[in-house]
Parts: sequence; C-alpha cells; structure tokens
Amino acid sequence: MAWTFRFLEEIALADIAFEAEGESVEEVFRGATQAILESMANPSTVSGVWERAIEQSDVDPSTLLFDWLSEVVYWKDAEGVVFREAPLALTREGEVWLLRARLIGAPVDHQTQELHADVKGVTKHLYELKQTGNRWKVRVVLDV
Amino acid sequence: MNLHTDMTVNRITDEIWEIPMSEKPGMLVPARIYATKGILQAMDSGVFDQVTNVACLPGIRRYALCMPDGHWGYGFPIGGVAAFDVHDGVISPGGVGYDINCGMRLIRTDLTLADVRPHLERLMTELFRKVPAGVGASGFVRLSGEEFGRVMTHGAKWCVERGYGWHRDLVRMEEGGCIEGADPSIVTDHAIKRGINQLGTLGSGNHYLEVQVVSNERIFDPVTAAALGITGNEQIVVMVHCGSRGFGHQVASDYLKVFEKSMRRYGITVKDQQLACAPFRSPEGQEYFSAMNCAANTAFANRQVITHQIREAFATVFGRSAEALGMELVYDVAHNIAKVERYPEGDLVVHRKGATRAFGPGSPELPETFRQTGQPVICGGSMETGSYLLVGTDHAVRDTFGSTMHGAGRTMSRAQAKRTVRGAELQQQMKQRGILVKAVSMSGLAEEAGLAYKNISDVVESVDRAGITKKVAELRPIGNIKG
Repeated sequence: MAWTFRFLEEIALADIAFEAEGESVEEVFRGATQAILESMANPSTVSGVWERAIEQSDVDPSTLLFDWLSEVVYWKDAEGVVFREAPLALTREGEVWLLRARLIGAPVDHQTQELHADVKGVTKHLYELKQTGNRWKVRVVLDV
Repeated sequence: MNLHTDMTVNRITDEIWEIPMSEKPGMLVPARIYATKGILQAMDSGVFDQVTNVACLPGIRRYALCMPDGHWGYGFPIGGVAAFDVHDGVISPGGVGYDINCGMRLIRTDLTLADVRPHLERLMTELFRKVPAGVGASGFVRLSGEEFGRVMTHGAKWCVERGYGWHRDLVRMEEGGCIEGADPSIVTDHAIKRGINQLGTLGSGNHYLEVQVVSNERIFDPVTAAALGITGNEQIVVMVHCGSRGFGHQVASDYLKVFEKSMRRYGITVKDQQLACAPFRSPEGQEYFSAMNCAANTAFANRQVITHQIREAFATVFGRSAEALGMELVYDVAHNIAKVERYPEGDLVVHRKGATRAFGPGSPELPETFRQTGQPVICGGSMETGSYLLVGTDHAVRDTFGSTMHGAGRTMSRAQAKRTVRGAELQQQMKQRGILVKAVSMSGLAEEAGLAYKNISDVVESVDRAGITKKVAELRPIGNIKG
C-alpha cells in the first residue's frame, strides 16, 4: 500500500480532520478516500449491494480531490448509503486530470453496520494538496 | 492576563472585552468578546484570530462580536455575530454556518418526573423509533420535488397545513417558522437530492433530542417561567437541537464556490478562504440569501415534523392525546442564520453563527405573546449537565444586535473525548445517574461526553451578568437520543 492517512486531533475541535499522503497524486486520492469512508462507518461492516460509477475531471488535482470527496458525501445523503470501498484510477490527459471511480456500499443499517459520524461536508479550512520531495500530502477538515 | 493570543485585549466591563482596530491591518471596527475573565482565558486562539478577521469584512458596523460559548469555527468563530449594512456590506456563508438554521426547540408538558420515570425506557425507545438519527437516516415524510419546494418556501407552515402540528405552534417560532424570500428555483439539484428524504431526522454530531425535568429550585424567574408554560414541580419538557441537515450544508457549499469566484470581480479580499462573501445587494448575494432562506425554512419544517413525532410518541406511551398532555411549544429559535433587521444605523444583515437572537420585551418584531417576557432563548448544554431557558433583553438589542449565546461550546476535540471515555461505558454511567441514552453510534456518543464541553452554567452566568439575556430556568436531562 503506497498511501497512508491519520486523523488529526487539534485542528478541528468540533469536527474531523485528517491528513493523507502517498507516492503519487493517485495514491493521495486513495488515502483521502479511505479516510472519509472510515469517518462515516467501519467499511468492513458494510456489504457491497449498492454501486455507482463516477467520473470527474478538472485541471487542478486539488479541486478534483475536493469535488470527489464532496461527491462521496452527496451519495451518502442522496441514497442513504455508507461505503465499503471506492476503487479509483486517476489519469492525466494533457492539462486535465480525470478520475474514474466506483463507490461500493450498502443502505444504512444500524443493526449490522458500525456507523460513525454523519459527515455533512468537506470544508476548505486548511485544505491543501501539496508535494514535498517525492511524497504528496493533503489535509482535509470534514464538517460533522 | 494569560490569553491564547498576543493581541491586546482591553477590559470594557467584567463581561465585555475589546480588541482594538490597531491589532490587525484591515480591521474596520473593533472586535468585542462577551465572557468572564475565566472563560476568556480558556478561549482558543482561533477565536481571537477569527473575530478580528470578521472585523475586516466590507460594510461591517459597530463591532465584530463573539459570545462566551465561542470557539474556533470555519471563517467566523462559533458564537460569532456581525452586522453589515445592506447597501455597502456583504453576506457570507461562513457567517451563517454550514448547518443553516441549526436551532433549538423546547416543548413543555403537564407531565412530572413521577409520571414519566416508570415509563422512561419505553418512552425513549418510542422516541428513538419515531425520530431517525445518525448517518444516512431518512424520515417518514415522502415528498415530490414540487412539494419539497413548498417546504422551502413555507417552512413550518407547510407542516401545520399537512397536519404535522398545531396552528398555534407557529406564533412560538422565530419568524413564525417561515421566512419570506425563499426561491427554490435557485437551489441546486444536488442540494434537493440530499435533503428531500431527510425531513424529520436529527442527524448526528452535537444534535439531539432530550427529555428534561424542571425543578422548582432551578427556576430563576418564576413569573417569566410561568408565562412561558414552565411551572416547575419536576415538570417534564422536551428539547430538540438540529437544523437543515445535508440540504443546508449543500446550499452553503454551493455558494462558497460561487463567492470564491465572484469575490475577484467585486474586488473583495478576505483573510480566510472560508470568509468568502459577496455584496449583499449583488446578484450572487441575493441568490445566496434566497437559497439560505430555503434551507432555513426547511430546518423549521424539520424541527416541526420531529415535534409531531415527539407528540405521537408521548401520546402512545401515556395513552392520552398530546393536547391533553399539554405539549405546547415554548419556542423555536435559530442559531445559524443571516437576517435583515432594523437598527439605528439602518437595515443591517445580521449574521449569527452559533449565536441566538435575543430580542427584549420592547422589540416590535415580537408577537404579542412575548411582549411582556421578551423572546425565549434556548441554550443547549452537554447531554450530561443540562440546558437553559432564558429570555432576550432590550440591552441585547442595543449592545449585541439583539444576540446572545447558543450553548456550552466545546473545549475538547472529538478524538480526545473518544480516547478519554468509551461510549458504552458512558451510556452505563449516565444510566446510573438517571439519564437514559439511546445512540446510533457509540463512538459518536463518546464524542459528546460532558467533559468535552464548557460548563454551561458559567457561560449562561456571563450573558446574564452582561445583561444580554436573563436566566429563566435550568433544564436537567433524564433521557437523550443521539445520532
């Protein structure tokens, strides 16, 4: 696994903050995606009966990641689901970054799933995607 | 004095502190913090930084304010109040908060603790069943897109028309539960799809439904309490804290994006990206105001549908109608909102973010029902310690744009709270203390432990002494539902 993430404690008293990093922009997308899925529920307790294919693009990978994480929150509310996994691929075509992802999960079930926070949205507070040496890192604060 | 800031903070009174305009380049007005010395010393550095950032926004009048429950927020601090001229001032989603019209509602009953204690387990189970909470929850109300549009324009009035409440409920809500100027046509499809199934749901985080008891010795103003239907003698009341759910958040997110782009065109620079704003009179500013009002009305409707479900639950458990049980609304008040209000300076867009309107008895905006008492103010504490009913004052109208505190305010991060206490243990400990808790998420329960919050009594004391609200009664929890 070429990505990691960790929850941050001291920068969002009332909410959830995390930092994800990886060896490429694509790996950071994977780390940040895992962090937001785990903020909502324990993925290992969620089945995969619900699925959506999602494509998004932007010239700015930072904006693309923000929009992708926001899309995850959107589907959680619009379909009343939580997620098991979200396999994704990020490619660059000229100036444009293209994300192809699948959101896989199941309708919320209090009996069988370990539910966590009802994430209301992704914020721009301290939001930053940056490259340091050969590592990419993003910091995200979620409003809950 | 030891503070979490290097800025100069001058004492105005024992409960009012001022940061002068010289402390940050670009400040257009001073910043004022309402707090006792002890509360001020405990405030995080974000409060000082953010309230002075707000003081730099175009068109701000008098002061950028922060209430004693203030802490770091997005752009504005939680507990922030700021008023901008409608002609040359701005409107900012960061000054309203993501959960538009997050607010508090209090329902009285004729029941006493002796009536309820033997049935508390069944009552809490019934409430937990009837009021969905937690991640991904959807309500029982099924709406077409057109009908959801009517919810956005009519708010709690829509609920009463549909049988989810009583006509007399409406007079006991800020703005009668329906703010004019909501235009559903400018709300995005994403926002509608997030909100259409969430009417009548609590959400998670610090949102809750609480069964509380009012003892005689915790009534501070018996005359006002009686006028508001609070009689003491171990009386049971029900408090609800929630807002516009995913719908309001999507409206805020959509317009933060719009404002980030339009600020360049209007030549506005801000100290923090989350303070993105637009001139109030601009097309973007008016569109946000209208979309925000859609979300505000949806929040009034959400709390009204929840009230209907609470009344049904009590009627089921106690075998009498909600009317026979005296389940009248005490009040419903917003604490995340922007509204146009008239002050000596003229019409101002007053932003309250984690702050409550607190109009005094002399306010012509109040209905006749509250002309003697002042407007009820409902402040939620932690689920372990209790909450307060207060009333607004004419002092508040003069000094704080008719605003006061909204709750206890956090002092500990969610992660730290979870490390300090486990949800299941906390639930057990609270049960031993006579507080029955039903929670969707045990980790979410731990995050809301009482130790993560300021002592609400200290916070209430400071606004009472400052004269911007007056204490009426303390409400002690015996049952709590959390997402």
